[in-house]
Amino acid sequence: MPEGVVVTGLGVLSPLNPDGDRERFWTSLCAGETATGEIRSFDASGYPCRVAAEIPRALLSCERSADAPALRMAEAAFDRALAHAGIMPGTGEPRRAGIVVGTVMGGTIAGERYLRGECVGHAETAGALEDYPLRAIAACLARRAGFAGPVLTVSTACASGTDAIGIASRRIASGAADLLVAGGVDAVCEFSFSGFSALKALTADKVRPFSRNRTGLALGEGAAFLVLEREGTARRRGAMVLGRIAGYASRGDAVHLTAPHREGRGLAAAATAALGDGRCRPEEIDYVSAHGTGTTYNDWMETKAIKAALGSHARRVPISSVKGALGHAFGAAGVMEAVVCLLAIRDALVPPTLHLEEPDPECDLDFVPNRARSMAVRSALSLSAGFGGQNAALLIRGGEP
Amino acid sequence: MKAPVRVAGIGVVCVPGGGAGEPVDLARRLPAVLAALARTGPPVRLIQPIEEVAVLAAHEALASAGVSTPAGGEDVGIALGVEEGIDGIKAEYYRGILKDGLLGASPIMFPFTTPNTVAARISILLDLRGESFTLCGGTLSGAQAIGLAMNAVREAWSPAMLAGGVTSVGREFLDALARTGRPDDGQAGSGACLFLLEPSTSSGGSRGTGELLGYAEGFGREDVRDAVQACLEDAGVRVEQVKGVWVTAGGDARALLEPLRRFAAKVPVRRPPAPSLYAASFPLAVAEAVQAADAIPGPVLVIGRDCLAGASAALVRGRAPR
Repeated sequence: MPEGVVVTGLGVLSPLNPDGDRERFWTSLCAGETATGEIRSFDASGYPCRVAAEIPRALLSCERSADAPALRMAEAAFDRALAHAGIMPGTGEPRRAGIVVGTVMGGTIAGERYLRGECVGHAETAGALEDYPLRAIAACLARRAGFAGPVLTVSTACASGTDAIGIASRRIASGAADLLVAGGVDAVCEFSFSGFSALKALTADKVRPFSRNRTGLALGEGAAFLVLEREGTARRRGAMVLGRIAGYASRGDAVHLTAPHREGRGLAAAATAALGDGRCRPEEIDYVSAHGTGTTYNDWMETKAIKAALGSHARRVPISSVKGALGHAFGAAGVMEAVVCLLAIRDALVPPTLHLEEPDPECDLDFVPNRARSMAVRSALSLSAGFGGQNAALLIRGGEP
Repeated sequence: MKAPVRVAGIGVVCVPGGGAGEPVDLARRLPAVLAALARTGPPVRLIQPIEEVAVLAAHEALASAGVSTPAGGEDVGIALGVEEGIDGIKAEYYRGILKDGLLGASPIMFPFTTPNTVAARISILLDLRGESFTLCGGTLSGAQAIGLAMNAVREAWSPAMLAGGVTSVGREFLDALARTGRPDDGQAGSGACLFLLEPSTSSGGSRGTGELLGYAEGFGREDVRDAVQACLEDAGVRVEQVKGVWVTAGGDARALLEPLRRFAAKVPVRRPPAPSLYAASFPLAVAEAVQAADAIPGPVLVIGRDCLAGASAALVRGRAPR
């Protein structure tokens, strides 16, 4: 990164902290709490697996919340991120401020409703699809904050949130913006649930990343946003610096629409390039936040990718996945995991990989099983991978220059 | 002011045709490309129309730049603008569930309901292992992809980027817009326009048809003005140096140019002759501006606007044929 990009605020809303309290998010994760349970947001009785990590819809209070839970989640996390950074909407130079949102499903729930209405011959009225377009969330948040600069929506499957942070960091680093709020959001919906069910990727009970007894992934949901600023701008206004985005890279597997490269080629390349971008040697990495979905091919390829990128250091570095606690929140996942890295650096504490009683012999690294670990973290690597061979890696460092 | 980025290759596919580029005989041209790809890999079968136009345009952009495929390695990345082009697929997928319950959820169709699958198809078939991005900005999806790719090439995050927009919409999509109170002047059909972008200083000599000089976005009340101003600053070009304007947004072009009234009165203002092809519209206008270098010998401003995503502006310069 040519110019320092720092994090000055964060907001996160997840099934572990539906009130948006970021400290609750962190303490729950480190205490080993899990948010997965029986699906309540739609009737899943016809599905063989019925587990997900959800935020009760009643807590997303708004008359339109039934149609737009993703937007409600995004608004809550976005507002908290701005408040944490001490930024009031409408202040600063609007043309130099913007937003980058990562999402996979966006307002698909509004689309579901539209098609259900069509199915029963119910004519939709004007505005019924207002929340449906993927770009609608970013536009709504930008209007809310009075931003007049870049307003982007990135959709790179499960790497969307990580890519949103990376893209925003690059925009700031290259001088195109001074402040960008980067984040991700997705809500559990029947549309995505049915797809993963059809692909037989869902667990019927718990998510067990890197475990011999894994049974699949669980969908999760929520939103998370980081306020990113040019370092000079942030320091001049006296902002508290929570950390820095020190490196980023994206790479494509170029092998399959739904399966990862078996050797983790793309993810290893992304991790290596992110380290190079941040001029960081592998042995400087103190913690790796893994994508860790709890599916066989992901766990195997990710283990290989970490070994390829970090070399012998891979056997020494603690690695954990928080998806056993949070499920897989798609567009929000990478941002929640970036938040985990920032808080791990702040508190010198690494969250555990849950439900890891019997490690998979193919996953023979230190995955921090079941209990959080106290240890100094100066540099963390956050990994994301997704359908279409998407791979992204972020290098996150502490706030000190 | 930053360095320009070279447009090293262009691939344009419009079905049923009209507007920028020649009407394409997809049934004739695509099999030849797929057969060539199958010689170096497994047989290829594309399922969705949006894949067909995207793969064909990508292949032609690389071929016209002299890049052989499969490319291999991480040197070429992709930034693709896609949004409404998969809405028909999403609707078809979900109708299957409404009709047949869980049994109606097609595991074959499900991956195509995410926008990045189109870029994935291109990267798999052409073996592009570099950076991979999909931007969803409605009619500005392709513009935003070009802007992102331009930045990646300029800042040396990627040696080369395939960038542009792709869409495929049916009558049903336009009817839904009309029913929900958002009719526009888009057209049913499929289209793709992609560029291979390289640093202007890279080897390749005089290869290429033009340059991207600047790019920026704007949002809110003054979105067009802000985008244009930031774009010109990005390019280091004064407004008086601009020799033409292409406008891609729907609606009244004069209204769009109102913030630039004094300036726009002095330069030729053009619109693509065909109705909007959504995510492909802005890249198609860039292609036309680049290829009109013999008629407009100087920087041309391309402006687009989307009802949700704001405005984009790119400054391009064609290279007159020798």
